Amino acid sequence: MSEVVKTSAPVSEGAHIAHPHEQAHEHHHETFVSKYIFSMDHKTIGKQFLITGIVWAIIGGLFSVLFRLQLGYPEESFPILETFFGEWAKGGQIQPEFYYGLVTIHGTVLVFFVLTAGLSGTFANLLIPLQVGARDMASPFLNMLSYWFFFLAGVVMLSSIFVHTGPASGGWTMYPPLSALRQAGDGQKLGADLWLISMSLFIISSLLGGLNYIATILNMRTKGMSMTRLPLPIWAMFFTAVLGVLSFPVLLSGAILLLCDRNLGTSFYLSDIVVNGEILPNEGGSAILYQHLFWFLGHPEVYIILLPAMGMVSEILSVNSRKPIFGYMAMLGSLFAICILAFLVWAHHMFVTGLNPFLGSVFVLLTLLIAVPSAIKVFNWITTIWRGNIRFTPATLFAIGFVSLFISGGLTGIFLGNSTIDIHLHDTMFVVAHFHIVMGVASFFGMFAGVYHWFPKMFGRYLNNTMAYMHFWVTMIGSYLIFWPMHYQGLAGVPRRYLDKRGWVSFNDFADLDKMITVVSIVVFAAQLLFVFNFFYSIFKGRKVRTANPWGANTLEWTTPIRPGHGNWEGDIPEVHRWPYDYGKDGREFIPQTEPVSAQETKSH
Amino acid sequence: MSTTTASVQQTKWWTGGKSPFNLEYGKLMMWYFLMSDAFTFGAFLISYGTIRFSQNFWPDPNVVFNAFPGAGHANLPLAFVSVMTFILIISSVTMVLAVHAGHNNDKKSVIKWLIWTIIGGAAFLGCQAWEWHHLITGEHAVLMDGRLDIVGQTTSVNPWGDLVTNEAAIAALAKTPHETLVSLAHLSDHNITHEAAMNMNHDDLMKTVSANLDALHIRKNGPVAFGGYFYGITGFHGFHVFSGVIINIIMLIMTQKDVFAKRGHYLMIEKAGLYWHFVDLVWVFVFLCFYLI
Amino acid sequence: MIHPAFEEVTEHHHVDDATFKKRVRNTTILLSVITVVELAIGLAIYNIHKGENPSELLVLMFKGMVCILTLAKAYYIVSVFMHLGDEVRNMIMTIVVPLLLFVWFIGAFIWDGSSYKNLRNKYDRHFKESTMPVKHGAHK
Repeated sequence: MSEVVKTSAPVSEGAHIAHPHEQAHEHHHETFVSKYIFSMDHKTIGKQFLITGIVWAIIGGLFSVLFRLQLGYPEESFPILETFFGEWAKGGQIQPEFYYGLVTIHGTVLVFFVLTAGLSGTFANLLIPLQVGARDMASPFLNMLSYWFFFLAGVVMLSSIFVHTGPASGGWTMYPPLSALRQAGDGQKLGADLWLISMSLFIISSLLGGLNYIATILNMRTKGMSMTRLPLPIWAMFFTAVLGVLSFPVLLSGAILLLCDRNLGTSFYLSDIVVNGEILPNEGGSAILYQHLFWFLGHPEVYIILLPAMGMVSEILSVNSRKPIFGYMAMLGSLFAICILAFLVWAHHMFVTGLNPFLGSVFVLLTLLIAVPSAIKVFNWITTIWRGNIRFTPATLFAIGFVSLFISGGLTGIFLGNSTIDIHLHDTMFVVAHFHIVMGVASFFGMFAGVYHWFPKMFGRYLNNTMAYMHFWVTMIGSYLIFWPMHYQGLAGVPRRYLDKRGWVSFNDFADLDKMITVVSIVVFAAQLLFVFNFFYSIFKGRKVRTANPWGANTLEWTTPIRPGHGNWEGDIPEVHRWPYDYGKDGREFIPQTEPVSAQETKSH
Repeated sequence: MSTTTASVQQTKWWTGGKSPFNLEYGKLMMWYFLMSDAFTFGAFLISYGTIRFSQNFWPDPNVVFNAFPGAGHANLPLAFVSVMTFILIISSVTMVLAVHAGHNNDKKSVIKWLIWTIIGGAAFLGCQAWEWHHLITGEHAVLMDGRLDIVGQTTSVNPWGDLVTNEAAIAALAKTPHETLVSLAHLSDHNITHEAAMNMNHDDLMKTVSANLDALHIRKNGPVAFGGYFYGITGFHGFHVFSGVIINIIMLIMTQKDVFAKRGHYLMIEKAGLYWHFVDLVWVFVFLCFYLI
Repeated sequence: MIHPAFEEVTEHHHVDDATFKKRVRNTTILLSVITVVELAIGLAIYNIHKGENPSELLVLMFKGMVCILTLAKAYYIVSVFMHLGDEVRNMIMTIVVPLLLFVWFIGAFIWDGSSYKNLRNKYDRHFKESTMPVKHGAHK
């Protein structure tokens, strides 16, 4: 299908005149600042995204431990909290405003800063040029700006935590009218403005990144790298970028309108409101409009988080079971289908807001359709490792864990996607359990799998395996222990976002369960700190990588030197002759993409 | 080298080593950026539509936009905005010519057409400033909370509600404060100067105003969202025009300094051109949503 | 014309000056004519509204026509001024196909907007009484 017919006019073949990305041979002077801080090397930028993401993950994770303490031990007081948080934890007990601040920042940080920037920022930057065979991103400069806008967004968000009135506390979705009115609470004062500014900066960062990823994947592929020879992580990043480029601007509009409502006296989202006995003049707006705008991004955002993990898991499972990926084209097709459906289903988050129920029923139909491509992917992953010669590296374990979590979290999505069942389950712990498993923990597993698998490429060293296995098993078992019981709580009607449920006699049965969840979440958080230690320890002291291709993988990144410089390949960029999944073919364990197809070879793909 | 031979059709665009669209990455990124910006504007305009569909009443644009600079109180619906539209279309044409001159490496023409484009953009911004100023400082008689008031179009008040019956207006006159009556008398009959009106007593004022009610076009206050969206969206568009003008000025300086001539191509101008046309394109839809329907 | 800086661009076409100028002139005239027609329709709507018994159907038809004319204008700006019409077919598709998302984007939002109006008219009497326009022909 894809033999190269080169009949176009002579392309100035020999004349590689001053191509901006062909400066590999030029050794221009690099200072510490230009190499590690304002770096334009996609690999360094990827590492910057990863390390910043890790820092944010620690903050976000720590916050969840804090509010889990409150949920598990509402009657207990922890004097140490007062030491650190002062009046926000008066008497060692987390105050309501602070609780909401913690939940809001936990959600925002993990969804946007860790699982969007930290995940696709890291691996899109690292993998796209390496796997498509390019010297760097299409525009290294805009790529650098993308990181620094992210950094700036982080600075603004971080500073909001230190504001006297506290950080934004309207939930990670920032629904008005609560978030639009300063009078509504301390967290709706400066903190909410900073939240909106931070998100706007983040959107700019993600647009700069996304445009770069798309342009690089389309334009910068090396010779022979047709679109159907791209490794699956690249396809996943491509669709992720498309999702981001088309949906983040809608959130930007929503955020700008919210900023106007907060600061300029407009009434986009406000109507008929009384706060503390004061009748507000605002009228004619619609709070549901904000939810539409938010979820028009918010739902694709779920896939922005999930798709890169899916792509990397596909690659890692295939490499480590020494078998071709099962159903490459089906994987591609289902990624594409998910990408399109992601834009059509946003209002399933809004079934009980007063959304027109007939409109809701259309959204139910579209939502349930997502089960089809998701199931295709799950079956393909399982058939890929089926009867494979599996090497249980930490990356493989995390990849398999991802599939497990994606199945169990995805199935509860079918419950929630039905608007009638959602009336009962909406805003209960069931929802918390669902999205943490399918989107939060699953994507984290994809990210861990990616880190363990590509760490040797990033730093030229291995992560410590013993710590890695401990990390995996604690996280795997712990995640299920934390989130599985929440389904039962939710079915029993326990609401989310409540900091103290002792007033409801019927929920008292769950007191011990909540204590257990809290204890396990502390253990799991400790396991993540173990990973962080392993990560930074191994950067300097890890076992050194001695061979260029330690996993015996086919893709192009393993044809570069062990520690590639800026420009990635020392000589010419290699040419590609086959798809990336020729494992266990014709009695050979793996055949790299750079190897020409020989005449005797059996036909595949 | 123009290769318009038959071989072109057989080019394998997707096999790697070249752009499948035959476009350099910068232009590709500009296109996709504009696409994402289209979603920003789309979201704004769709929000406007959503709110508009959630209201029982919406002002008729022909009533709102009927002024022309220097024409006093003449009723000229849509006249001024059509001038603005033509300014933007013509500046788009001059930009096309600048880009074309760049293709021909014709520095002189590039400079000429860029200057015209910048003038067009600045003129549009000037028009917009006048229109905003006119709307904000406008004086319209509105029946609010049972009495008459004189307000302009802001983000929190909308003077373009439904027309009020004469009976209701006269009933409201009784509750209207004296200062408002003075202004109303002046508004209802421009032969009465503001000073003359101030010297009239309360009853005379009421009589004058109620005799000239038809000239006042008294309305209820309309949907507040109208102002917010109008200023918000035309403001966001104006911000794009402004940044477009800045980009074009930078292009002009770079052209004059022979940056592109030394590079051998004027592709930067093409990208600036794409942005400028996009601004025009957005205006087409803003024009539709706010002024026509 | 070669762009030596971009090796990913492999083929170059060139339009001759005369054809190009003619195309730009024709498009300019076309855009102006469409705008004038749009304005005429806008004024027609104004006059219908001023009349004694405004026909809602006629107004709606006129508004629909303006929408179609606007799409035509957008088409000419994008295809001629922005040269999208001259690009490779697949490139055109990557721009046009994602724009189809607007269909559901607009449809669902507007649908829910008007549903919000109906809900309020049904359950919020004050809203209905204070905002529903009065038919003017009735009491003049």
